[in-house]
Amino acid sequence: VLTASPNVRSLPLPCIMCERLILYIIELFPTWVGMDFPCLCLSVVLARDWPSSVFDCIDSYLRFLTFLAFYRWKRLETHDVVIECAKISLDPSEASYEDGYSVSHQLSARFPHRSADVTASPYVDTQNSYGKNATSTPYSSSRLTLNTPGQLPQTLSSPSTRLLTEPPQATLWSPSMVCGMTTPPTSPGNVPADLSHPYSKVFGTAGGKGTPLGTPATSPPPAPLYHSDDISLPLATATAPRKEERTDPARPCLHRQHHLPNDRAPEELPSNRGSVTLSDLPGFLGDLASEEDSIEKDREEAAICKELSEITTAEAEPVAPRGGFDSPFYRDSLLGSQRKTHSAASGAQVASTNPEPLHSSLDKLGPDTPKQAFTPIDLPCGGAHESPAGDRDRQTSLETNILTPSPCKIPPQRGVGFGSGQPPPYDHLFEVALPKTAHHFVSKKTTELLKKAKGNTEEDYMPSTSPVEILDRLIQQGADAHGKELSRLSLPSKSVDWTHFGGSPPSDEIRTLRDQLLLLHNQLLYERFKRQQHALRNRRLLRKVIHAAALEEHNAAMKDQLKLQEKDIQIWKVSLQKEQARYSQLQEQRDSVVTQLHSQIRQLQHDREEFYNQSQELQTKLEDCRNMIAELRVELKKASSKVCHTELQLSQVSQKLSNSESVQQQMEFLNRQLLVLGEVNELYLEQLQSKHSDSSKEVEMMKAAYRKELEKNRNHVLQQNQRLDTSQKRILELESHLAKKDHLLLEQKKYLEDVKLQARGQLQAAESRYEAQKRITQAFELEILDLYGRLEKDGLLKKLEEEKTEAAEAAEERLDCCNDGCSDSTVGHNEEASGHNGETKTPRPGGTRGSGGSRGGGGGSSSSSSERSTPEKPPTQRAGPFSSRWENPMGEPSPSIPATVGSLPSSKSFLGMKARELFRNKSESQCDEDGVTISSLSETLKTELGKDSGVEAKAPLTLDGPRTSPPNPDSVGQLRIMDYNEAHHEHS
Amino acid sequence: MTEDSQRNFRSVYYEKVGFRGVEEKKSLEILLKDDRLDIEKLCTFSQRFPLPSMYRALVWKVLLGILPPHHESHAQVMMYRKEQYSDVLHALKVIRFVSEATPQAEVYLRMYQLESGKLPRSPSFLLEPEDEVFLAIAKAMEEMVEDTVDCYWIIRCFVNQLKNKHRDALPQLPKAFEQYLNLEDSRLLGHLKTCSAVSRLPYDLWFNRCFAGCLPESSLQRVWDKVVSGSCKILVFVAVEILLTFKIKVMALNSAEKITQFLENIPQDSSDAIVSKAIDLWHKHCGTPVHSA
Repeated sequence: VLTASPNVRSLPLPCIMCERLILYIIELFPTWVGMDFPCLCLSVVLARDWPSSVFDCIDSYLRFLTFLAFYRWKRLETHDVVIECAKISLDPSEASYEDGYSVSHQLSARFPHRSADVTASPYVDTQNSYGKNATSTPYSSSRLTLNTPGQLPQTLSSPSTRLLTEPPQATLWSPSMVCGMTTPPTSPGNVPADLSHPYSKVFGTAGGKGTPLGTPATSPPPAPLYHSDDISLPLATATAPRKEERTDPARPCLHRQHHLPNDRAPEELPSNRGSVTLSDLPGFLGDLASEEDSIEKDREEAAICKELSEITTAEAEPVAPRGGFDSPFYRDSLLGSQRKTHSAASGAQVASTNPEPLHSSLDKLGPDTPKQAFTPIDLPCGGAHESPAGDRDRQTSLETNILTPSPCKIPPQRGVGFGSGQPPPYDHLFEVALPKTAHHFVSKKTTELLKKAKGNTEEDYMPSTSPVEILDRLIQQGADAHGKELSRLSLPSKSVDWTHFGGSPPSDEIRTLRDQLLLLHNQLLYERFKRQQHALRNRRLLRKVIHAAALEEHNAAMKDQLKLQEKDIQIWKVSLQKEQARYSQLQEQRDSVVTQLHSQIRQLQHDREEFYNQSQELQTKLEDCRNMIAELRVELKKASSKVCHTELQLSQVSQKLSNSESVQQQMEFLNRQLLVLGEVNELYLEQLQSKHSDSSKEVEMMKAAYRKELEKNRNHVLQQNQRLDTSQKRILELESHLAKKDHLLLEQKKYLEDVKLQARGQLQAAESRYEAQKRITQAFELEILDLYGRLEKDGLLKKLEEEKTEAAEAAEERLDCCNDGCSDSTVGHNEEASGHNGETKTPRPGGTRGSGGSRGGGGGSSSSSSERSTPEKPPTQRAGPFSSRWENPMGEPSPSIPATVGSLPSSKSFLGMKARELFRNKSESQCDEDGVTISSLSETLKTELGKDSGVEAKAPLTLDGPRTSPPNPDSVGQLRIMDYNEAHHEHS
Repeated sequence: MTEDSQRNFRSVYYEKVGFRGVEEKKSLEILLKDDRLDIEKLCTFSQRFPLPSMYRALVWKVLLGILPPHHESHAQVMMYRKEQYSDVLHALKVIRFVSEATPQAEVYLRMYQLESGKLPRSPSFLLEPEDEVFLAIAKAMEEMVEDTVDCYWIIRCFVNQLKNKHRDALPQLPKAFEQYLNLEDSRLLGHLKTCSAVSRLPYDLWFNRCFAGCLPESSLQRVWDKVVSGSCKILVFVAVEILLTFKIKVMALNSAEKITQFLENIPQDSSDAIVSKAIDLWHKHCGTPVHSA
């Protein structure tokens, strides 16, 4: 092809042809892309310098092919893809329509090929065979790679990619294909697709130009048939019925049979007409060109077409086997083409014209059977076509190969893989989509095909015997047909030999033919529309069929499941019955067991009761026994106590016995002593008797002495006894006395305690009182200090005044001041003034007064100053002012205070007396010191006042300050007091 | 003992009839006849029985240590007390802390302050919280005791007792209060807790002032009988009884402020019952005090 494209240029072809060729080449791109040879496309594209308009088209086309597609198509349904492809198709007529339009042409063109080439891309092979052998090998290899996956039921991706990469296929593709309808298979159609495009284009242009197709429908003479390049099929008519057939994928066979008779009878004419028009297209074009272009161009074109058709026949040869007639015919053409291919420069054009002759031959010569016979897509013929090298030698033997398809078809129907390993490209899809129906359909179809194959073989035998005869017959038949057509036409000059054998037809005939052509064209348009509708319906129905098949499948599966479940149910029922029987048995058993157990229980209860009774009896017995035992124990205890008692007695008795024994022994001893003594007595008596006379007197004397002595002693004892008694009495007396004394002591103690308590109570009261007094004195002290503080302040003020008015008016002014102060003091400080008076009246040394005078100036802030001064004061100093107070009542009783001071309890109570004494002593002793202490106090006060006293304090301190500045009634009063004091002192 | 037994059989009937304290009066008289007064017995007696009002001042004075147990020294001691009183009062007058116009309670306060050395520098100084307590107690005591000297001394000793003897016990009372309230009515306590009013109850009024100003004096003196005799726990039970008596009202109040406000100003009409119940409650929880001797 690469070589072809430049060649195309070199050809002295008119522009239109050139463009066509370019378009053909472009149409090939998808295929190349699909074959993974995008470089090829590119090289082709780059090798030429295209016209800009075309280049744009190519550019977009390639882009669409290579890049956009993959992602886009994957998601689409197949029929959508078809539509999409149709939209983008280069063919303008196709682009506007749905796939069906272009497909129809392609299919019709492809159809014959398909029978031979069922492989996915046989087209390439054929191409290669025409073009270059060098390129063929890679193609084949690639094809193989593609096919190997294709052998197995292809996955979705593989067809999709193929669809994408091969737009012709895509455009061709329709649901009907998938269903195994009469629509052309994808794979073999590739070549014709490309080829058909030009045709369609031509047709389209023809449609546009319409009228120039002048040749009458009847005119097609046998000659074009012979020419083989001019043999053009009445494509439209041929496709139309086929389309109709295809519309029903579910029952293709029926349809075919149905349609054929219908179509043929009324459409014989149009078919003929169509064939004529199409075949003569170049001729007509040439006629037209005569008006527009040069006739030469057309002629050349026609010549090229001829050549190409011859070449294509070789390609189409594999198709031959279907029609018995075809085989010889094509073989011849094949031979011719073989020869010419080498010489022929334009491969593409060859391809373009190829389908036409094929179709023409097919449709014309074998319109009855071949269509139907080869409609099934399951005509895969592996052997011959797998070798894509396109050996011419092999092609010669194609006949035999082509004859084999019938046996080849058998394996697929049995569901076994093909011998060649190449299933029809859509079959697997079919199976995938409709597993059941597919099988059914395939089996049906194969049986049919078998029958037909048989018929074919029979038919084939005939021509094989004598090809010449067949040729003759063909010519004859053609002539007959032609004659009939001619006779049917009501032409003005029948007899005239105006056909292409000779001169030009008359003008009126041309007109009629043109009219006819227009008519046919209209019909064609109608058919086209019809076909579109059918295609739409087709798709819809296919969807439904798929859906239905799926449902059917589902239904079947459900039924199976149902059956299984029913079986299960039955089994369960049986088992249930068994279980029920077992259950009843078990229940019976259980009942019996229960009754048994009940009886046992009853027995056991009875036994238990008996046992219970027995146990009760035994218990009573046991209790009896226990009682007995207790009694016996008691008895035992008693007995044992008795035993103990007796033992004790026994021991006593034994003791007594031993005693008595000892007594007896003593008695014996005494008896013996008695005896001895008796003997002694006797002896003494004897002695006495012997000496009685001289000792009697002595004895008497002695006795008397003894008596006297005895009496004496007795008296003595008596005396002693008496003494003892007395002493004892005395002791008793003394003891009682002691007790009394103790008691008294205790009482005394108690009393003492009482008294102590009493005293303590009193003492406590007194102490509390004393405490209170202390507090009172403290309070007084504070008060006094307050007052002193005030006094000192006043003193300060007064001093200042004194210093200034010292020399001039001493006494008089003072008196005035005094009067003023009196009047002032009476306002608010009457009491205070009096208090002060009382205080100040006390006789004091001049030093104190002086100091007291200097103390003034405190003024209103006396309380604060006194507060400050208190902590600084030593205890001895405290006593000072205190004592002065105490002395007050003694000296001069002041109007208000003396009464209170005089009534102080101190005067009455002992403590008070003591305190008074103490205070008096102190005061007297401290009187001298007072001056010092107070002056020091005043100094401290001064400093403090100087430090932080209020405005009133500051004012008098400043030397240059206003002398009469203290207008404060307080200070004035104080001043007055001071003055008074001063005066008093002076007086005193 | 013989007297006791003699009394007992009648006292049962007295109490049944409702004459409480008829027998107690006699027994108190007997107790008071002892030359050396048995203070413990008096304590027990005043804890067990309400004191007859005619002997109340005497018993309080004895219990508070104002009078010694010996009758003999009573006169003298009382004289001392009187003199002390007049001394202090005089001193206050002298230093012009007190005047004739000064209310008696304040006079007592100043006297107390003077005696305890806490007299402020000026009468215009603000009062301390404890002075407020003193004032409240003094005002209540004024109503109970006629004689000013007695009154002052009783107040003084009463406050001192609160300060010294019950110093440790008083802070524990709120806790004890919660505990006994929980025992008596946990729901009420729960309500108080939810209102977070437990910590904001008028504890100062109840335990520091011993209900002075909260209860009318007639019923308050019965409470103070117990306090004087040495038990400050009675305060807790009075507080509990107050809450129990006014439970419905307290439960109806939801905010701590309202509860506190209400409890600070409880109606006075039911105070006698409250005190009686509180004493019963006290006896119930702490047992009837028995004379240890």
